[in-house]
Amino acid sequence: MKNKASVVIVGGGITGVAIAYELIKRGVKDIIVLEKNTLSSGATGRCGAGVRQQWGTEMNLKLSIGSVKRFETLQEELEYPHDIEFSQTGYFMPAYTEKQVEQFKKNITLQRKFGLHVEWLEPSDCRKVVPIIDLKGLMAATYYDKDGHLNPFHTTQAYAMACRRKGVDIELFTELIGIKTEHDSIKAAITSKGVIECDSIVNAAGGWSQIVGNMAGVSIPTYSERHQILITEPIEPLFRPMVMSFYHNFYTQQEPNGAIIMGIGDPNEPKEINVDSTYLFLQKMASVVTTVLPPLKHARVVRQWAGMYNMSPDKTPIIGKTQIKGFYLACGFSGHGFMISPMTSTLIAQMMTNEPLAIPEIETKLDLGRFERGELFVEPSVV
Amino acid sequence: MRIDCDVLIIGGGPAGLCAARSLLGTGLNVLILERDPFLGGQLLKQTHMFFGSKEQYAGTRGFEIGQILTREVQASPNVTVMLETVASGYYPEENFILALEKEKKLYQIYFKKVIVATGASEKSLLFEGNDLPGIYGAGAVQTLMNMYGVMPGQDIIMIGSGNIGLIVSYQLLQAGVKVKAILEAAPTVGGYFVHAAKVRRMGIPIFTQTTVKRALGQNALEAVEIVNLDSKWQYVAGTERKWSCDTLCLAVGLSPMSELLWQFQCEMRYVSELGGYVAKRNAIMQTTHPDVYIAGDVSGVEEASSAMLEGTIAGFAAAKALHKMLDSVDQVIQNSQKFLDEMHRGPIGEKIRNGLAKVEVDVCL
Ligand SMILES: Cc1cc2nc3c(=O)[nH]c(=O)nc-3n(C[C@H](O)[C@H](O)[C@H](O)COP(=O)(O)OP(=O)(O)OC[C@H]3O[C@@H](n4cnc5c(N)ncnc54)[C@H](O)[C@@H]3O)c2cc1C
Ligand SMILES: Cc1cc2nc3c(=O)[nH]c(=O)nc-3n(C[C@H](O)[C@H](O)[C@H](O)COP(=O)(O)OP(=O)(O)OC[C@H]3O[C@@H](n4cnc5c(N)ncnc54)[C@H](O)[C@@H]3O)c2cc1C
Repeated sequence: MKNKASVVIVGGGITGVAIAYELIKRGVKDIIVLEKNTLSSGATGRCGAGVRQQWGTEMNLKLSIGSVKRFETLQEELEYPHDIEFSQTGYFMPAYTEKQVEQFKKNITLQRKFGLHVEWLEPSDCRKVVPIIDLKGLMAATYYDKDGHLNPFHTTQAYAMACRRKGVDIELFTELIGIKTEHDSIKAAITSKGVIECDSIVNAAGGWSQIVGNMAGVSIPTYSERHQILITEPIEPLFRPMVMSFYHNFYTQQEPNGAIIMGIGDPNEPKEINVDSTYLFLQKMASVVTTVLPPLKHARVVRQWAGMYNMSPDKTPIIGKTQIKGFYLACGFSGHGFMISPMTSTLIAQMMTNEPLAIPEIETKLDLGRFERGELFVEPSVV
Repeated sequence: MRIDCDVLIIGGGPAGLCAARSLLGTGLNVLILERDPFLGGQLLKQTHMFFGSKEQYAGTRGFEIGQILTREVQASPNVTVMLETVASGYYPEENFILALEKEKKLYQIYFKKVIVATGASEKSLLFEGNDLPGIYGAGAVQTLMNMYGVMPGQDIIMIGSGNIGLIVSYQLLQAGVKVKAILEAAPTVGGYFVHAAKVRRMGIPIFTQTTVKRALGQNALEAVEIVNLDSKWQYVAGTERKWSCDTLCLAVGLSPMSELLWQFQCEMRYVSELGGYVAKRNAIMQTTHPDVYIAGDVSGVEEASSAMLEGTIAGFAAAKALHKMLDSVDQVIQNSQKFLDEMHRGPIGEKIRNGLAKVEVDVCL
C-alpha cells in the first residue's frame, strides 16, 4: 500500500467507488479507496437496488433524475464487459389514506413539472400495472415506468473496474482506524495496514459513518438502523414494477430471473450496528405482503438477510464539507443511497475540484451544518 | 408452533443417532430432526460391510448398522423423532431453530443444547456441459441403486478414485452396469488399497492424472472428452480424446454442511484435510458457542465409524453439561476418545490428524 495520496476514500460501497471514479475522471491523481471488508459488503450488497424518481421535493427529484440519466448510459461509460442489469420496469406506489392521496397529488404535480410522466391510477386501473394486487382499501396509486432497478454487485464492480483501469488503488481488507488532523486540516489516514499521508478524506463509510466522523473529531448525527429483506425462489412472471407501499411500510419487486425480493420497515428494529436476521421479520413480511399481493403466499422463501440504513435525523443524505478542511461527507442516505449514487459522487467530485455544482443548493441544504442551524430537510415521500 | 426440548439433534445419520443413544435413560427431553423420510443418513446407501473395530460394527453392512441404531433410538421414551423436517435456520435474537416439516408446517424449536450432525454434501466439478442429464454425484447414484433399485445408466465413467469412487464403481459392476474407467486427477489412487485392488481385479482400469474436460451430448450425455494432466494439474495439450458413455459419476469428495454453524457464529476455519469450513471444537466436540456441539462429517469429512464415536462423545458431553450425568460419564467419554485416537493413528489417519490439529482447541469451554 502507498503511504501518500491526495484523496483517501473510506468505504468500498457504491458511494465510495463512484466518488473515486468521478474524481479520477476529473484528473485527480493518487486516489486510494479503503474497504475493511470486500466491495459491496455493506448496505450496497444487501440492498433492494430500486431506483425511483417519484419524490416529493425538488432536491430529491434533482438527485434521482440526474442519477437515472447516468444509469441509462453507465455501462457504456464505464466500459464494463458485463451487464449492470439496469431495467426500467417502474415503481407503483399505492395510497391507502386520504392524507396519502393528498400528498401523492401534490407530488405528482411537482414531478410532472420536472418532466416525469408519472401516471395517476384509480383503483380500477391498478391491475393493469400490478395484475395480482388486492384492491381492498386501495384509494389510488401513482406509477412511473422509467423508475427501475439495477444489480448492485455489478454496478459497484463496474465502477471499481473503471477506477482500477484509470489508476485508483482500491485496498480491500484495509480498515481506517484513525484520522490525523492539524490546525483543523486533514493530514493522514491511519489504517490497519499503515499510515497514508493525504490532504483529503471522504467519509463514504455507510453504516459506520458516525464512527469515521469521530475519528476526525466531527460529530455526525447519523445512526445505523437494521433493515431486513428476503428473496423467494424464482417463479413465473407476476408483476413488473417495484410495489412500494408507505402505508404498509414495504417494498417488493420481481427480479428478471423471477425471484421476488421484499423488505419491510419496523420501528422496533435495533438502532445499532447489527445485521442479524429475525423470524419476526419473516412472519411480518409474509403476513403483510400476502394481504396486498395474495398470490405470493405460494412463493417459497429461499434466503433472508439484513443490512443497515445509515439514518440522518431528517432522513435525507449528508453530502458536503465539514469544519475540518479536507474532510468530506457522503453518508446518512437513510435507505436510498444506491439510487442517487451517480449524483452523490458527481457532487462530491465537483466540490473537491472546485467545479460549479450540478445542484448548487446542496451546499446549504444537505450539508452537516443544517442540523446545527436547525434547518432540517423535509421529504414527505420516504419509507 | 413452539416446541421445547433439552437437547436438539439436527441430522439422523450415524453421528446424530449415536448422540441420541448417549442420551437414552438420562430423562432429558431429546428431539431429532431429520430431513429425509427415514433415519440412518448415508448408512442407508451402504450395502457393503464395514471395516474397523467390533465396537464400530465392523463386518456389518452399512444399512444394517443404520437399522440397529434406529431401532435403539426409536424404542426410547425420551427421544422424539421428526422426519421430513429440515432445520432451516438459527435465529440468534429469538434463540431458536426454525424447522419446516413436510414443506408445510413451521416449528420454532427452543433447546438447551444442540448437537449439529448434518453430515456433508457432495462436491462437483467445473467443466463444459456439466449440467447435462446423465451426470450424477456418487451419492445420487448410490441412492438410486441401493435405496430405490434404479439403475442410473448402462455405460459409466467414474471420476475420482477415493473410497467412494471405488466402492460405488464396484457396486455398479455388481448391479450389471458397465464401468468403463475410473479417472483420477492426482498421480496416485486416493482410496484404500483393498478397494482399488478389488475393482482392478474386475477389469476396471484406473487412469491417474486424467480428468474430464467437456461433456458432450444433445439432450443428454453421449460422450465425454477426457484429457491428461501434468504435475501442476494443467491440461496436457493434444491428449484430448473422446469416450462414449451415457452416465458420468462424480466422486470428487464431500464438504461439511456447516451453514447452521455459521449462523450460530461458531468460530470457523477452512481446513482442506477435513473437506472445507469446520467449526473449532474441543475434545468433547463443543464449539466456541457453548451450547453448540458437533459430530460426524459436519465436523470434518471422515467415516461412519468416527461419526459414531463423535456422536457418542457429544451426546454424553451435552448430558454432563445439563447435569444429567452417569457417574461414569467421564470414563465413557474417554473410552470413545481413545477409539477415535486409535482410528487416527498410522499413515492412513495422517491427513485427518493434520486437519484436526488445526481446529482442536484445548480449553474446556
Ligand atoms: C435492506 C435494504 C434495502 C435497501 N433498498 C434500497 C433501494 O431499493 N434503493 C436504494 O437506493 N437504496 C436502498 N438501500 C440503501 C442503500 O443500500 C444504501 O444507501 C447504499 O448502498 C449506501 O452505499 P454506501 O456506499 O454509502 O454504503 P455501504 O454500501 O454500506 O458501504 C460502506 C462501506 O464502508 C466500509 N467501511 C466502514 N467503515 C470502514 C472503515 N473504518 N475502514 C474501511 N472501510 C470501512 C464498509 O465495510 C462498507 O463496505 C437499502 C438498504 C438496505 C439495508
Ligand atoms: C459410498 C460411501 C461409502 C462409505 N463407506 C464407509 C465405510 O465403509 N466405513 C465407514 O466408516 N464410513 C463409510 N462412509 C462414510 C460415512 O457414511 C459417513 O462418514 C457418515 O455417514 C457420516 O455420518 P453423519 O451422521 O455425520 O452424516 P450423514 O450420514 O450424512 O447424516 C446426516 C443426516 O443429517 C440430515 N440433515 C442434514 N441437514 C439437515 C437439516 N438442516 N435438517 C434436518 N436434517 C438434516 C441428513 O438428511 C442426513 O440424514 C462411506 C460414505 C460413502 C458416501
